[in-house]
Amino acid sequence: MKFQSRTAYLGLLMIVSGAFGCAPSATTKPASSSSGSGSASAKSPDSARPGDGQRGGTKESDLASSSLKSLQEGKPPITSASSPLKDAFFDFDRYDLSSEARAILQSNAEWLKSNGSTRVDIEGHCDERGTNEYNLALGAKRAQAARDYLVSLGIAADRLSTTSYGEEIPVCQERSEDCWRQNRRARFVIAERRPTT
Amino acid sequence: MKVLLLVFSLMVGFDIDCALAQFKGEIVGSGGQKFPIAVSPLRNLGNAGGDTGRFSTGIADSIVHDLELSGWFRVIDRSSYIESPQASGITLGSFDFKDWSTLGAEGLVKGGFSLRGDEIVVELRLFDVYQGKERIAKRYTGGAGQFRRIAHKFVDEIINQFTGIPGVFNTQIAYVSNSGGRFKEIYYSHLDGSEKRQVTDNRTINLSPSWGANGRSILYSSFQDRGQTLYLRDLPSGKDIRFNPPGAGRFLSGKLSPDDQSIVATYETAGNSNLHLLDRSGAIIRRLTQDPGIEVSPAWSPDGKQIVYVSDRSGSPQIFVLDLQSGKSRRVTYSGSYNTSPEWSPRGDRIVYTGRVGSKFAIFTIPVEGGEPRKLTSEAFDSEDPTWSPDGRFIAFSSNRAGKYHLYVMQASGENQRRLTGSGGDDSKPSWSPRLVD
Repeated sequence: MKFQSRTAYLGLLMIVSGAFGCAPSATTKPASSSSGSGSASAKSPDSARPGDGQRGGTKESDLASSSLKSLQEGKPPITSASSPLKDAFFDFDRYDLSSEARAILQSNAEWLKSNGSTRVDIEGHCDERGTNEYNLALGAKRAQAARDYLVSLGIAADRLSTTSYGEEIPVCQERSEDCWRQNRRARFVIAERRPTT
Repeated sequence: MKVLLLVFSLMVGFDIDCALAQFKGEIVGSGGQKFPIAVSPLRNLGNAGGDTGRFSTGIADSIVHDLELSGWFRVIDRSSYIESPQASGITLGSFDFKDWSTLGAEGLVKGGFSLRGDEIVVELRLFDVYQGKERIAKRYTGGAGQFRRIAHKFVDEIINQFTGIPGVFNTQIAYVSNSGGRFKEIYYSHLDGSEKRQVTDNRTINLSPSWGANGRSILYSSFQDRGQTLYLRDLPSGKDIRFNPPGAGRFLSGKLSPDDQSIVATYETAGNSNLHLLDRSGAIIRRLTQDPGIEVSPAWSPDGKQIVYVSDRSGSPQIFVLDLQSGKSRRVTYSGSYNTSPEWSPRGDRIVYTGRVGSKFAIFTIPVEGGEPRKLTSEAFDSEDPTWSPDGRFIAFSSNRAGKYHLYVMQASGENQRRLTGSGGDDSKPSWSPRLVD
């Protein structure tokens, strides 16, 4: 095995500075942001522009830490609007990638290509409907679908691990379709390097 | 009125009813009526003063709670009782049955207790009011703090008297609760919420508790250390065995076999979840399914020869049964597009599961061989996570009908749905223990 997907206790909150290159900032480029709380209709494949991350100066953006870590720290497991790695969303009980999800993953792949040393854990999440155990398996499918697509785009497989949190760490707590949609996601968090033992 | 009562008593009197009820394993009054019973507060037989009402009414309250939870009895309101419990006798001939027949009681529970330090001695009796006979007489000795357990054991005897099968009140329910916070921990308690114990306290996500057949171990899954996997908790010692998943995979859920010797578990790797047979240390004995889709939520048949589980190989989650010897699976559910979390009845005849109805989830049962499902809960709210009582006559489940998720119990027919004690948070994933030995 080249990597471990055991990121539950990893995922330190990492503030990105120049070391990670420049990422698009939501405050200056709202049109390119497709945050988890945005409405689906506002997005189009073109809005996530590959290459944004290579331009410009030294703006700062947040990369997410693991959702479990956020839970333990009492922080909402929200992917920051300034994160260069966006959430990809899924339909109820589905793990195939929509064209919208593919566009987000393409954008994420571009960032990963220009930040070649970064290892990422892909978290699969589900909405609260259905049973916990099925949703853990469904979340694993979603994370794997996102990983497979990134590998097909040329990202080295050993940079990408997967985790499923099922329905256990929702980003939105209400019982509504808008909320459920936000929770049905593949989320990208920075994985710590595998400890050498 | 007197004549009517007499006729009723002849129809559902103990002797007739016993034969009838033993045949069906249920207590069926005339015209489906519940059996009217009175439960007198217990008489203090010792010299101890002080707050003995805790035991006098506490034991009676627990008996009433269990009788009502069963759905088979109508307990006559205590405020109408004529006798003074501390002044009248508790043995045959030392009290007047008319004081009870007047109230419409056909059954009567009487008893007494005495305290010896931290120990309590309890005598309990069941009388047939219309025939003027004693049916059960029991003496229990135990820790004073566990007096409710004595009540549960006596109700199990009452139900045995009526049906030929003991009741299931001396049991425990393990469940997941967030206790109003953001972590999910595992707890267990008696059905009335007494003797509550916390199993996990690791401030992460703990899920899917299930009991071993000996009632001394609980298998659960947890994110407490290095990703999700299964843990086997030995309750007497409090020690966990961590099941180390091979490679980059994870154990999502599992259940101990009826002989307690092996575990059927879902092992997920690279997005594929499949059923595997494990030993009690978590080592894989063999892989049971070979499907590229989702295979989760396995549960054993009572004879340990088959596994009921969920698969999405037909395009949506459905219930399947795997024969361990042949390795072949067959589909059980065909109606509905989302059927999950099955459990096999201890009686062997039916499978209970959660199914989606419109935008809600309800509890269903279906014959093991397939056929017409029976919906047990309303789709006006969500009901999920069903678990059978050890005698197969009841089902516990979780439901959000009162806002938050709480645990409920109903008869296997879906009748008499009653809420168990709530924790103040969301309670889910109940697992009903086997009958306790002590």
